[in-house]
Amino acid sequence: MYLYIYDAFLNDKKYLSLLNRIESRLADLEIKGKTCHLNILKNMEEVVEDGLRQGVKTVVAVGDDQTFSKIVNIIADKNVTLGIIPATNDSKIAQILGIPPGEAACDILAQRLIRKLDLGKINHQYFLDSATINNPNITLHFDKYQISPATKHAVISLSNLGFLTSNQTVYKNKISIPNDGLLEAVIAPLKTSLFSKTKKIKKQSIFQFKKIKITSKGEPAHVTIDQQAIFKTPIEVTVAPQKLKVIVGSKRLF
Amino acid sequence: MFKKEPTKSNKNIETIIGPSVKVDGDFHGDGDVIVEGIVTGNLKTKNDLKVMEGAKIQAEIEAKNAFVAGEILGNITVKENIDLTASAKVKGDLTANLISIERGAIVNGKLTMQASQPGLPSKASAENKEE
Repeated sequence: MYLYIYDAFLNDKKYLSLLNRIESRLADLEIKGKTCHLNILKNMEEVVEDGLRQGVKTVVAVGDDQTFSKIVNIIADKNVTLGIIPATNDSKIAQILGIPPGEAACDILAQRLIRKLDLGKINHQYFLDSATINNPNITLHFDKYQISPATKHAVISLSNLGFLTSNQTVYKNKISIPNDGLLEAVIAPLKTSLFSKTKKIKKQSIFQFKKIKITSKGEPAHVTIDQQAIFKTPIEVTVAPQKLKVIVGSKRLF
Repeated sequence: MFKKEPTKSNKNIETIIGPSVKVDGDFHGDGDVIVEGIVTGNLKTKNDLKVMEGAKIQAEIEAKNAFVAGEILGNITVKENIDLTASAKVKGDLTANLISIERGAIVNGKLTMQASQPGLPSKASAENKEE
């Protein structure tokens, strides 16, 4: 049984025709299920819990990358499969999973090609995409060695899916693989110009790991996961291997 | 019909130690390692190692193959081939099957070449000091 969760931003009128097209395509493919539109009074967690009590086996999130990241934390420890329907054209997660935006995603759902993906975990909170730290004043403690950025401006990303998604060669070179049981720590130094515009420079550092501890040399650094939750250092980051069952497309990048 | 899809995972894992990073401790890797920054301690990998120009390593090194264009202070043990380019500066002993040193490279240490197959003539060892 399918549960379709539509994110609250899709209540806007401009998405009405898209939602109609999605629903009619789901009906054509005979994979219609329980539908739920989120709003201020209905939160995602309650909806998923209700669905699980009714025997839902597949939860489909309709929305954008933030929607997909939110739902991952809710279903990570449950025995359900996740499907996604991107309502926008700029979903990085959908691109990596090989899911086209809009009603075309329904065909991928119907094919039910399921893969188990790793998740990152920081202090009991899971992340699908990445955790980022905008402060180079930290030390990354690996099993037997430590790494410290030797630059004043850098972004440190702990990535599962999203690492360098603008640069897809990492997938072609099979560096970032979301089901290999490893996460990647990427240290990207930033170049600052006179007009204070920051640019990423190319020579990044990449380390793979299963578990690391991050401490800061001075004041605690902020760690943002999937552009939502924020933690402060010290933190421990681990990988939860093959934790999430996801429906993927044949054009996925891994 | 139920043919298992070949796994696409970890065939070319790379660790890149960029120029803006300092690594301290025992680094053990399984895949290819590219060093452009600073490493102190031990550096071991089951695969290939590339030490780029500008990199500074103060460590005992073990790898399958090595390409060196930066500075190394420490012994290097390579299972197969080691290539030192003109910009390489090595202070330490080199052990490999095949050693290639480009004109201009600075090597201070003992070079030991080991036969790759048991049947071949045993160790040919030479002490070299070249600048």
